[in-house]
Amino acid sequence: MTRVRVTAPRSLTSGSPTPDGAALAGGRPAAAAHEAAEESDAGQLFVRSLIRSQLRLGLVVGLGFLLILLAFPLMLGLVPGLADSTIAGLPFDWVLLGAGIYPVIGLSAWLYVRTATRNEARYRDLAGDK
Amino acid sequence: MNPVVGLAAFAAVSLATAVIGFYGLRVSRTTGDFYVASRTVKPWWNASAIGGEYLSAASFLGVAGLILLSGTDALWYPVGYTAGYLMLLLFVAAPLRRSGAYTIPDFTEARLDSRAVRRVTSLVVVLVGWLYIVPQLHGAALAIRITTGLPAWVGPVAVVGVVCITVVVGGMRSITFVQAFQYWLKLTALAVPIVFLLFALGGGESAAAAPAANPTALAPAGPYQIISLLVALLFGTLGLPHVLVRFYTNPDGQSARRTTLIVLGLLSAFYLFPTAYGMLGRMFAPDLAQSGQADALVLLLPGRMIGGMAGDLLTALVVAGAFAAFLSTTSGLVVSLAGVISQDVFGGSVRGFRLAALISAIVPLGIASMTESLALAGSVGLVFAFTASTICPVLLLGIWWRGLTDAGAIAGMATGGVLCGSAMVAGSVLGAAQSPSWLAQPAAWTVPAAFAVTVLVSRATRGRVPRTMTRVMTRLHTPERPLATER
Repeated sequence: MTRVRVTAPRSLTSGSPTPDGAALAGGRPAAAAHEAAEESDAGQLFVRSLIRSQLRLGLVVGLGFLLILLAFPLMLGLVPGLADSTIAGLPFDWVLLGAGIYPVIGLSAWLYVRTATRNEARYRDLAGDK
Repeated sequence: MNPVVGLAAFAAVSLATAVIGFYGLRVSRTTGDFYVASRTVKPWWNASAIGGEYLSAASFLGVAGLILLSGTDALWYPVGYTAGYLMLLLFVAAPLRRSGAYTIPDFTEARLDSRAVRRVTSLVVVLVGWLYIVPQLHGAALAIRITTGLPAWVGPVAVVGVVCITVVVGGMRSITFVQAFQYWLKLTALAVPIVFLLFALGGGESAAAAPAANPTALAPAGPYQIISLLVALLFGTLGLPHVLVRFYTNPDGQSARRTTLIVLGLLSAFYLFPTAYGMLGRMFAPDLAQSGQADALVLLLPGRMIGGMAGDLLTALVVAGAFAAFLSTTSGLVVSLAGVISQDVFGGSVRGFRLAALISAIVPLGIASMTESLALAGSVGLVFAFTASTICPVLLLGIWWRGLTDAGAIAGMATGGVLCGSAMVAGSVLGAAQSPSWLAQPAAWTVPAAFAVTVLVSRATRGRVPRTMTRVMTRLHTPERPLATER
């Protein structure tokens, strides 16, 4: 891996002793142009809308997951007889909390990653960052 | 139990750790290698390494022990440990990777353009790391005492010794391979004995109590305790230093997300097994709960239910898995603490990193030898509450809110740290049985308090929003240039 010197305006951590990797693409002439574009008013508008949509997405997925999570104990408490019923010889509440929640977590995460990647693709199109 | 079994298992795990660590040594050369493995680790490796590092004594031994003690109430622990990663994915993973900083103090300093914030964050990170290593060492003491009959202090000393050698010699790159190996070792160590146990069960023994039977007569947890525990676990994971440092080893923000997705799968698969152990323990070994040995359930169950040569071999496997858990979490924490300490105190050289690694491992060894072991999952839960009240507000508001100021960040960390810290001290002085639930599970009020103080003080010091804020926010949230993303 080649080490690329990080110039001041690109560096987030200016002043701290943290050498940065080449992954940030410093040193290419195109980078400076992008930098300028992002700091213009129009560029900032796109950035703000990207941040807002990513935050909204995170909150929606997070709250949705929490609601499902809270629905589990409520369901056990409110539906009579449910907590005492069994699935394949195992108590229902054990199966629900011990195994049933994990697919919900995985599904929420997968949905989030898909949509967040799409949001970023849309930002790239808008910002002309091909 | 045959003492040779435990010793042989521990020796084998230590040897494997050292060999893989040495293999990694040949590829780590520069300061960057030492800290974050040059950010070139593949998502699958990285995800296994994160899983390996995250699944600590609390997960391997503590969850099953707590389920044995308190039944379905304890099932919230593995759920919270896993869902914490979902929160990490939603709000932290990609922006943190894009920040390009190595450690949490690097991040807060860059975001808020303030050396003072850096120092306070470093202090909190080191505190969290030490608090988190202590339960690992308690776990090691328990495992050594139960399985070999040696004095308990041998366990922590051996773990710290092996960790110091691998970290000092190899740095983060070798640690990545070691941790990935240890995830799969831990999974195997729980899964194989369970298969045998279920076969043994199928062979007849049916005269067992239902898992719903309560061997300890503990009162069920109320809604406050469950909610407070979930707040601690969901928001505490965001701020764990050894978890966060792993995200810098991803090449870009999108791969950081992909890695987290894989981690969620790995954790979900893993936690099915401690749950199964806890359930079997309730049915076949309720006496362990009454004799105060609940945390040893995973270690003792195979030998008890199967016995003979097969039982010894399965016991060796779980003991190996348990030591993998102590070693991987401790070394992950030592690496991240050493990264923080060496940058703040020793100027970031490789020699400073080695010295800092020794300091970060030996201090908790002292604390562990002076304190008594509580329930492992419970004491780790308190560390999560502390992290959620200190690092989490600064991290979340720093990533998503333009109005955060250095004064707000410091005030918030101080408030959360003091409130949660005094609740922890008061709780341990009163003892687990006497302390009211708001002291035993403080996160439900300390976390909102820390958030509120951070926001209010930031609002009051509006003029201190750093001039670099717009540029930093842009960098955190915009996708990397195609050069970095097209691979």
